[in-house]
Amino acid sequence: MKLSTASSFMFSRIAFQHCCLLGVAVICLGSPSLLRATVDDSVSFAYEAALPYYKQGFSIRKDAWGGDLGVREKKAVSIQLFKGNTYWFLMATEVKGGSLSVHLYDDKGNLVEDESWQKGRFAGARVNPKSTGTYFAIVQILKSPEERTTWALVYGYK
Amino acid sequence: MFHDKPLHCEGNFPRFSMKNFPLLRFQAFVLAAALLAIVSLRADNPPKKIALSDFPAAAVDDVVVPVPSEIFAVLDKLGNPNWKGQLRDGKVQTPEDRARTALLLGNVIAEGFVAVEAEDAERVKDIGRQVLTLANAINVRKAVITRCKSITDKADARDWKGVRSEFDGALQDVRAAMDELNDHDLSQLVSLGGWLRGTEVLTSIVQNGFSKDGAELLHQPELVNYFDRCIGSMSSRLRKNPLVSHIRDVLRKIGPIVGESGDSITAENVKMIHDLTREVNEQVIGGGN
Repeated sequence: MKLSTASSFMFSRIAFQHCCLLGVAVICLGSPSLLRATVDDSVSFAYEAALPYYKQGFSIRKDAWGGDLGVREKKAVSIQLFKGNTYWFLMATEVKGGSLSVHLYDDKGNLVEDESWQKGRFAGARVNPKSTGTYFAIVQILKSPEERTTWALVYGYK
Repeated sequence: MFHDKPLHCEGNFPRFSMKNFPLLRFQAFVLAAALLAIVSLRADNPPKKIALSDFPAAAVDDVVVPVPSEIFAVLDKLGNPNWKGQLRDGKVQTPEDRARTALLLGNVIAEGFVAVEAEDAERVKDIGRQVLTLANAINVRKAVITRCKSITDKADARDWKGVRSEFDGALQDVRAAMDELNDHDLSQLVSLGGWLRGTEVLTSIVQNGFSKDGAELLHQPELVNYFDRCIGSMSSRLRKNPLVSHIRDVLRKIGPIVGESGDSITAENVKMIHDLTREVNEQVIGGGN
């Protein structure tokens, strides 16, 4: 039905816009040092990377992580994951010419992702956890024209 | 050799020109493009194993608290839970104690996720109104008005994925608004209240049809430690709040159980966690202690 399709499209757009705004709010308010427009943009890009997965039926969380890192600097983000779900982690930077990566490890430090990709300012990793527990998303700036590069990470599940 | 003539010398192709081989030129182009695409998609080569000890505390971000639907989605895959049977009856009263209000707000939002699983539109709308009332009591009504309206609209349209997303959004909006008001502690209590209700429902369902896979969902050691740390870093006034203090005691009882490896969580453990969370949630709803 056209109405239904239109509603779904509208919802998709509205949800996406809300995702962006919320992600920005959560990150900015979480750390005063991140009160920079560039972080806002990185969050928007991260939700842009998540949009295809949203369309595939993944629920994209409104929570997001973010900050800034130097080139080759890494950060670990701890996450509680549940066996039985599939997760996509999507990361982005607003810095043009920057590239970054996200990879998923279990609490013993073993690489557990089933798939990952990296394309310029975007990166993603998917995992079907073999067990429920604590996992770590390791985020890294691979290259950047800036000394510090802002980044944002969001995730979806289904 | 690309042609039948002998080459002038090894490694040197002075007469060879791609212009003479349009098909080869095309294939080379495709190959180069494919290689470039592969390289760009896997520009980094992650190590198979890392030492997590290389990451100091400052390099590790706090845990993001999962929303109940992340766990409920797994329960749906494991069986066919009686979600309607998990719904609480009646309306909640707005407490005067702000800490309890924050806990109750998180608790009620978690109840919203249960109502979504039960696909009970009237209950969802009722919970949406409760969220608004409780948000009003802690001065963050403005942050969730739009969400609550959307919850009602989407419940009427039986857009369950949409409602789920709105409850998740409401949780984040409320927390963001509280952070803006410098109520960081209350913001944490909202998350904690949601986790407590989610865990009560999870343990109830797992108890009703115990399986190792279901019990494994309780393996959340870092999350429980995180909540404990959160309470530990709150103002002394909040830490001494009888309900908050009691919740910390409960977390410390739950911690060792959920810290065990997933397949070691027994039916007795599940019942114990259920009893602890149900009792504390009753206090969140009804006061006391």
